[in-house]
Amino acid sequence: MNFYDFLTVVGKVFLKFLRATGNIAIFLFRSLLTGLTPPYYWKQIAIQTIQIGYYSLPVVGLTALFTGMAMTLQCYDGFSNFTSEGAIPSVVMIAMTRELGPVLASLMVAGRLGASMTAEIGTMKVTEQIDALSSLSVNPYKYLVFPRIITGTLLMPFLVFIDDIIGILGGYLVGVYHLGFNSANYIHNTFVSMSAWDVCSGLIKGAAFGFVICLMGCYQGFSSTKGAEGVGRSTTNSVVSSSIIILLLDGILTFVLF
Amino acid sequence: MYVIEVNNLTKSFGSNKVITGVSLKLKKGTSYVIIGGSGSGKSVLLKSIIGILKPTSGSVKINGNELTNLNQKDRDKLMLKCGILFQGGALFDSLTVADNIGFGLVYGFGFSKKQAREIAIEKLHDVNLKDDVLEKYPSELSGGMQKRVALARAIATSPDIIFFDEPTTGLDPITSGMINELIVKFTKEMGISALSITHDINSLKHISDRVGLLFGGKIIWEGDNKDLWTTDNPYVKQFVTGSLVGPFTA
Repeated sequence: MNFYDFLTVVGKVFLKFLRATGNIAIFLFRSLLTGLTPPYYWKQIAIQTIQIGYYSLPVVGLTALFTGMAMTLQCYDGFSNFTSEGAIPSVVMIAMTRELGPVLASLMVAGRLGASMTAEIGTMKVTEQIDALSSLSVNPYKYLVFPRIITGTLLMPFLVFIDDIIGILGGYLVGVYHLGFNSANYIHNTFVSMSAWDVCSGLIKGAAFGFVICLMGCYQGFSSTKGAEGVGRSTTNSVVSSSIIILLLDGILTFVLF
Repeated sequence: MYVIEVNNLTKSFGSNKVITGVSLKLKKGTSYVIIGGSGSGKSVLLKSIIGILKPTSGSVKINGNELTNLNQKDRDKLMLKCGILFQGGALFDSLTVADNIGFGLVYGFGFSKKQAREIAIEKLHDVNLKDDVLEKYPSELSGGMQKRVALARAIATSPDIIFFDEPTTGLDPITSGMINELIVKFTKEMGISALSITHDINSLKHISDRVGLLFGGKIIWEGDNKDLWTTDNPYVKQFVTGSLVGPFTA
């Protein structure tokens, strides 16, 4: 491959990226424009609240619990070399609220919810159910996309908050019942260095990640091509693209917020 | 009076020209059937007429309203006067039969769920189905029953025009016959105008008043049902006889 061919490939990839970005922006604009005008489909918002908020709790809770436990054990292993075990509760708290809580909860939700969202909408697309919605005078962006995006954005901070609590609790359980920390000291050390901004920054990240998961889940579903293979490909694309954007956005937001 | 007037409609996907200039007119209370081979662009034409696909150029008038110029709100209002039976039924998987049939009534006309359910029962009887399927989900029904439920949904809003996208595809001959009978019942007895696409000759024989043959993105032959069997047009002759010899190639 000569330099010209290399530039051609780079150019094609860049144009493809620009086209995809433009399509996503148009998709989002159309969804928000139609969704913000009446009538509002409250029942769809209620259904998505249960789907996103309630059914994601087990997977988010389990991830947080074991992450908090593992984090405490790993910190103990390192910190004990410098007799700094007292800092473990604070480190676990900061790590969970600022970083691990929002990122891990969002990655788990992207895997669970983003995939199911894309598969559901993608199947509707290839079986003409989305066309049927239009034919019954119901805007599919308003009925399918807006309730998911708005609910995902508003509920993800709630999931992150639960994740923070369970993660810190996991650390407490290992610290007190396995490593022999004094319970009162552990709790005191956890909260003494906690600031509201630690928690709020994680919640802001959660809202941004929830928005990304639902936007990509719906967009990939609407982009599904014919057949089971097309829906499968879109589902994979949804999870992969959401996860990459979450990690990228996490870096950007950390720079901006701290 | 014409309820649908299509003039020089074209539809392209990138450089791929699927519909290259279709014109047709549907008289009130009659049934127009578009025939054509697989891949001839029948579904694309139908979706372009309904407005699900945006035509590249040309004009589509439904009840005198230029569809391509209407804003979303007016288009939605106009579509409430139209019913569509999709090829695979396109019933909503997550909703029961009652909710599927009443969907347009609740979301389009603002009916209460109770009112929509009463109409759903009535329409279910119109398509020869009993009340016991009301609470079932589409996945619990046979292909023929799904098609009839989809038909009930299409007529639930008492439309002036119904569009049928290959109404008998994938059905056994008896169920196909039943669907054909229902289509005739709706067009002849209820005075609903119908625009259909099909490649099922038996269906064509029963449900059409006027027929157009789509080939190469254009209607290359148009005539009444009776002309279909007597014409010398080689395309039509080959299509209705299913012969391997002629201008159509597989």
